Amino acid sequence: MDLIKKTNIDFVSNRNRFFTISFGLIVAGLLAVVFTFNSSSDLGIDFTGGTQVTIKFEKASVSTDEVRTSLTSMGYAGAELKSFGNDGEYLIRVGATGKATEVSQEIVASLQEAFPADEVTLLGADNVEVKISNELAYQSALALAVALVVMLLYIAFRFQELVYGLGAIVALLHDVLLAFIVSVLFNKTGLLNLEININAIAAYLTIIGYSINDKVVVFDRIRENREKHKGMGLADLINLSINETLSRTIITGVSVLGALLVLVFFGGDVLEGFAFTMFAGIVIGTYSSIWIASSFVIWYTDRVKHKRIGTVHTSPAK
Amino acid sequence: MNRKNLSRWLLIFAPLLAVAYLLWPTYRFYQLDAERSSLASDSAALEAWDVQNAEDYQTARLKRIKLGLDLRGGMYVTLEVDVLKLIEESADKLSIDDDFMAVLEETRKETDNTDKNVLDVFLEKFRAKAATNNMSLLQYFTVSNQLDPTEEAIEEKLRKDVDEAIDQALQVISQRINKYDVSEANIQKQGARRILLELPDVKDENEIRSLLQTTARLEFHRVTMGRPMIETFYAIDALLRGDVLEEPAEDTTAVADTATVAAADSTVADTAKADTAKADTTNPYAGLSDDEALRRIKKDYPFTYMISGVFAPNAQASFQAFDFTLKKAADFPETGVYRFVVGEKFVSRFLAIMDRPDVQRLMPVDLKILVGAKPERQQGADAEAGFFDIYGVAADPELTGDVVTEAFPSFDPQNNQPVVIMDMNSEGAERWASITAANINKQIAIVLDGRVYSAPNVQGKIPDGRSQITGMGNTEEANLLAVVLKAGALKAPVKIIEERVVGPSLGEDSIRRGITSSILSFALVILFMLVYYMMGGGLADIALMMNVLLVVAGLAGFGGTLTLPGIAGIILATAMAVDANILIFERIREEMAMGKPLRSAVEQGYAKAWSAILDSNITNMLSGIVLIFLGTGPVKGFAVTLIIGVLMTLFTAVVLTRAMFEIMISSGATSINLGQKKTASA
Repeated sequence: MDLIKKTNIDFVSNRNRFFTISFGLIVAGLLAVVFTFNSSSDLGIDFTGGTQVTIKFEKASVSTDEVRTSLTSMGYAGAELKSFGNDGEYLIRVGATGKATEVSQEIVASLQEAFPADEVTLLGADNVEVKISNELAYQSALALAVALVVMLLYIAFRFQELVYGLGAIVALLHDVLLAFIVSVLFNKTGLLNLEININAIAAYLTIIGYSINDKVVVFDRIRENREKHKGMGLADLINLSINETLSRTIITGVSVLGALLVLVFFGGDVLEGFAFTMFAGIVIGTYSSIWIASSFVIWYTDRVKHKRIGTVHTSPAK
Repeated sequence: MNRKNLSRWLLIFAPLLAVAYLLWPTYRFYQLDAERSSLASDSAALEAWDVQNAEDYQTARLKRIKLGLDLRGGMYVTLEVDVLKLIEESADKLSIDDDFMAVLEETRKETDNTDKNVLDVFLEKFRAKAATNNMSLLQYFTVSNQLDPTEEAIEEKLRKDVDEAIDQALQVISQRINKYDVSEANIQKQGARRILLELPDVKDENEIRSLLQTTARLEFHRVTMGRPMIETFYAIDALLRGDVLEEPAEDTTAVADTATVAAADSTVADTAKADTAKADTTNPYAGLSDDEALRRIKKDYPFTYMISGVFAPNAQASFQAFDFTLKKAADFPETGVYRFVVGEKFVSRFLAIMDRPDVQRLMPVDLKILVGAKPERQQGADAEAGFFDIYGVAADPELTGDVVTEAFPSFDPQNNQPVVIMDMNSEGAERWASITAANINKQIAIVLDGRVYSAPNVQGKIPDGRSQITGMGNTEEANLLAVVLKAGALKAPVKIIEERVVGPSLGEDSIRRGITSSILSFALVILFMLVYYMMGGGLADIALMMNVLLVVAGLAGFGGTLTLPGIAGIILATAMAVDANILIFERIREEMAMGKPLRSAVEQGYAKAWSAILDSNITNMLSGIVLIFLGTGPVKGFAVTLIIGVLMTLFTAVVLTRAMFEIMISSGATSINLGQKKTASA
């Protein structure tokens, strides 16, 4: 099969339009995230600290309102209550108290007492003191930042120009931010549990890993064409390279996205949220490999370094 | 087949062998585990099965791929030494006043949500207050054996106590967790003040919590080994057999005492009895097959079959092994030196039986049966099979550990052997003097949380509260005993700062859905490659499957744990392997489209795709390395599988598929269907 024929599309001339679209989406998205942000439903317990209890009423005979009333009488009026998955399953969250372990015990025991006709099973409990959650957030951010810098340096070294490293990192930040926005906003639909927890961090790391791979492939073509077509303008060179790698970019993207889609629908509680974030990230990453990363290289060379980049000459596809 | 092809075939099959070798224990474990759990309702059959397969089961278990708690359910706890509480507890109770409490409270407020050094903050706050209120550390703290301490000496002692508290807590907690018999508990120190615990298969979280937070109890008990112990053992046998009779039933117990075997230390090993039983003609089990004899012994002596004993008429005589199955209690001399041991594999069952309320009721009022804290190991062939000493001690402790003020490892100046020095306060010293005077040449057991750490012989009256405990095999043992004794002097308070429980039902369901969906999505990729790249896709598929197997086998080989973030790492590595193949095939198609013959198209395709594959994999590998060093637990899990995955990808996607292509080409293939347009391949 050969779905993508040899192409000759002008990807780079309209770069400013795509920058604007991406930039606009990120700004609007971040604003939307900031204004609707609810730290107790969007951030996982790993990063807020507190207690999270997942319970199941075996006979599913207790309604959300009844659980809430019962929690209020326990003194947890501000508790976050979500029902998800199967009937009778609830997720209860309260803020950090400094007495991590007692809260989850108390909630389970009191609920059992309040609803003796049903049987309460503890599916999971997390008690995290604020101290730990702060450390976790700090450490994750630090690890991510250092990893990005290392990637930037390696790419700048391998492609002999800092601008390639910058282009890759700008595109990565673009991908992670948009994937973050999509997942935080989608979390509000309540269809999937997409809170930002330590597992979500692994999903973002995967997006970064995939996306950097995508960028390197295009840059590699640019490096090769740079030698092959000496004297070709940068814009033409980059456009040619994007076109030449287009079939690979799409085929790889499609096969990975197909695999992730299966996980989104059938992965169960554990994998679905994880796979959703990766799915969004890889769609975005594929887009940025074509329209953002290399275009940034042109833009930077043109505007910041004031070098001639030439214009793109396209001819009709064969 | 030419030589070159031979090495290519080797390249393909050698990794398969490695995979089979590394994944075999995992397969074997689940097979044995299934067998074992099918017997769970029949305790006799289970025991028989355990005897047959215990070793195999354990080996497989150790080498299998471990699943993280997020996938299998369990409890994860982070404990931190509560430095404030430790300061409060080491202060002199009577001198604690409002000023002191105010400093503690200020310190608590400042350090609650940060990672500052609590002791530093405390000292700083204390000095600030001391400057205006005319206070001194000397008012609140004393240093043992120092009549005229300075502030600096107190500060130094507090620092030492804080530093040592973590080891002490670690010791106490490991012992308790082991006693609770949580399978595969992982306990480790993190940094200077934290302990991480991973406990799979926890049945009762509350029990674990109280286990972790109650302080340790150190006691000194008089050792009383003798016939009452043996009587108790037989009574437990009778109880477990279901007899309620006073006299042990069955004729087997009436057989005369002829079964002693020449004593050597090795007879203590738990296999001694079966051998003895076989060799003896008056033995009721003689003539039976080994298996049958063992089965009957276990039925007749459900408790004592786990115990081996030796006896000597006095301390100078050599030990004789004896066989519980051939004696009754009255046959044992009342005076003499007894020693009993229980094999490592039986010890949890032994302790479980001892804990039963009906067994407790059988115990004489003045006797307690305790087990050593650490297994002893024999030199030589059977070094793996350790055993625990069983101690009979007086039920009431002679002294409790709160009189201990200090304990530290040292060396005997005369023979340079490791020793432990223990100091007691004046009240303790007085009682210790009379206790030691009354028990010269007898043993006193040092018991922490119900396990015996040492049972030294009293060599003389100790008048001044300073004892020197000898007989330690090495400095490590001495350090351990000092830690244990200090647990009596100072409670190492710990608090839970993080606790996660994954219910087994959630874990099980998640993993089933996770595995099914992962297989499905992998199958989709395999199918896609086959349809899109035809023959080439088929080769890539073989490499992809090998890739996943190699990553999992690699994880098993490194003793890694598979967690959810780890699965993300595998997904990424697999995606990169798919991509590497796509890169190569697209290049080969390009070359073929230019009309190059197969051999050079393949050569060029690999050569041109290589730099992109290498750079993207190295980039990811570098970020994986950063994450291993800087990331926290789950992020590390991701990084480990990613790094293994990247290495395997470079091998399978590049080396392996190339070898397959080369084999085809050298076997005469002139075109390979890569799904390209027909005209191009001509």
